[in-house]
Amino acid sequence: MFVDFFYSLKKAGIPVSPTSFLRLQRALSLGLINSIDDFYTSARAILVKSERYFDLYDQIFAHKFQGADFKDPTELELSEVAKALLEEWLRDPRGLAQALGIDEKALSKLSPDELIKYFLERLKEQTEAHQGGSKWIGTGGTSPVGHSGYHPGGMRVGGVSRNKSAVKVAMERRYRDYSQEGPLTEAQMGEALKRLRNMVPFGPKNKVNIDKTIYQTTKNGGEIEIIFDRSLRDRLKVILAIDNGGWSMDPYIGIVQTLFNYSRSQFKDLKTFFFHNTIYDTLWEDPPRRTKPFAVDELVRLTPETRFIIVGDASMAPYELMATDGSIYVEERSGRPSFDRLKFIAKTFSHSIWLNPVSIDEWGYTRTISAIREIFPMFELTLDGLEKGVGYLMRKN
Amino acid sequence: MQDDAQSAKFTGASKYVLDEELAKIVNISTALEMPLLLKGEPGTGKTMLAHAIAEAFGMKLIVLNVKSSMKLIDALYQYDTLTRLNDSRFGDSKRDVSNIEEYIKMGKIGQAFVSRERVVLLIDEIDKADTDFQDDMLDVLDQMEFDIIEIDKTIRAEHRPVIVVTSNAKKDLSDPFLGRCNFHHIAFPEPDMMRSIVHVHFPDINKDLLESAIRTFYRLREIKGIEKKPATRELINWIRAMRTDSDFRVKDLIKGEVPYLGVLFKKSPDYVVAQNSIARFKI
Repeated sequence: MFVDFFYSLKKAGIPVSPTSFLRLQRALSLGLINSIDDFYTSARAILVKSERYFDLYDQIFAHKFQGADFKDPTELELSEVAKALLEEWLRDPRGLAQALGIDEKALSKLSPDELIKYFLERLKEQTEAHQGGSKWIGTGGTSPVGHSGYHPGGMRVGGVSRNKSAVKVAMERRYRDYSQEGPLTEAQMGEALKRLRNMVPFGPKNKVNIDKTIYQTTKNGGEIEIIFDRSLRDRLKVILAIDNGGWSMDPYIGIVQTLFNYSRSQFKDLKTFFFHNTIYDTLWEDPPRRTKPFAVDELVRLTPETRFIIVGDASMAPYELMATDGSIYVEERSGRPSFDRLKFIAKTFSHSIWLNPVSIDEWGYTRTISAIREIFPMFELTLDGLEKGVGYLMRKN
Repeated sequence: MQDDAQSAKFTGASKYVLDEELAKIVNISTALEMPLLLKGEPGTGKTMLAHAIAEAFGMKLIVLNVKSSMKLIDALYQYDTLTRLNDSRFGDSKRDVSNIEEYIKMGKIGQAFVSRERVVLLIDEIDKADTDFQDDMLDVLDQMEFDIIEIDKTIRAEHRPVIVVTSNAKKDLSDPFLGRCNFHHIAFPEPDMMRSIVHVHFPDINKDLLESAIRTFYRLREIKGIEKKPATRELINWIRAMRTDSDFRVKDLIKGEVPYLGVLFKKSPDYVVAQNSIARFKI
């Protein structure tokens, strides 16, 4: 029963295990699930183990069970979506045009009213044409309908006003806020930070040092004295270099910095440096990049085990990266291109990564991003990317 | 036990307002005898749920507060070597020194297992401990038994406890652990829900006060740049503070004044930020 549903979840990338599926079967056979509402909540509790996947689950549930208990979206709902699409269009015309598979230019000729009308027609067409069960709510997150969502406002507690069917609740996509693909918000920051905590094993003072205990006991003339030691722990040294110049980085600095300030207690040694666009001969310890320079050459004196994390959008004019006197600041020009300096850093610290707040889809459009990716493994500054990045930093040798 | 679980359906408790969705999940977890893992921001009532379940089912509640340095063995049992050593040297206690069992003390999980009745076991904030802790716990929760190595004895759960695990989402839990739990994420209550929660705590609350307090509360939560947003607990304490103050008038609150801000914001930077933004939102 519902094998198909199970596989759709799996296909969409939700880590569902066969055991949990069997457990769901047991719940079904125990007669605990009597309605589609029950099924929605129970299957989610049993199969899905992280709120990050709740959104995806909602989408797939809505898609799979639309035949069973699904009414066509009302006119009102459709116009909501159309409005959301319009907003999306204003923000990112090209992306939306691509997703809908239409010509950007043709669309840009339309007035807002005409646009809304056009979207509405498209949406109706989609619902009507695909009632046979193929999806009109995107599962991968690219379909425009799925993407803009039914509740741009985000979260809602379905249990409160419960006159909607489970499918409708699923359609609300209440858990969109927790979706993994989203960028790092302040609320998620804590979560990401704790991922870094994985890097430093904690240890209480719980290991008996037998040698010392025996020594101390004999010294006491048989009076037993037990000596405890802390179990070995690997506390990492971390250097964080943040690009804090240029308006493009502005929205992210606060987030990144707080993230690492919090983690100060976790790391034995956390150094924060600042730079603008890319690194030349100096890094700065003060955010205005004025009073406390730190020569890049000095970095060799630090242990090579140090984890070097660079956060920046890596977007600049190509000459800033490649030319011998590339810096936009005259006093920083030294005759060595930044490209070489970055290579030097990557060579000094074998565990180094570049975190980029720019979304991964756009990396291909910026030449300097591609160039820097040749030097550093680059990860997106999202929960997912951070996780991968930390994984990379923690790999052995 | 099966019938037990099915006949006793969880429908809420005296001081807990239950979301219908959550009730279903609780019932299904008790019926399947699986631990229920609850995640959500602080103040959404994760811990309270366990208390409510215990109250509703009339079971005893055993709370295991997980600490960062905790090892699983601490939660299972403790072998009090020190007392035994003392007893063996001075010999003035009534315990039998050669019988190790007398020096075994049950930890919280151990207590839940040996209990004569079915109990509710709350494992609070499991994410604080190492991932090792969760991994070690898997078998114990799966098999519902553990060994006491010192006396070579296996402790079996007489009644499978109702297990509630909470996590503040500080760290991701390990996959195998997640696989053995049912999962639910408690979202922050909506104003409607919050209204009924407040009602449960203050049944005789003045309607104006309730409305304006909740409106102000949600507005305060929206202030940008707050590190620790006020949660349900703060709201309830805040209302309590306003109700005990005889000089307090509801009109002031409606006008946009916020007394006892310190009850809501407990970090000084947050307090300052909130104060500044309040000055701006006069109605």
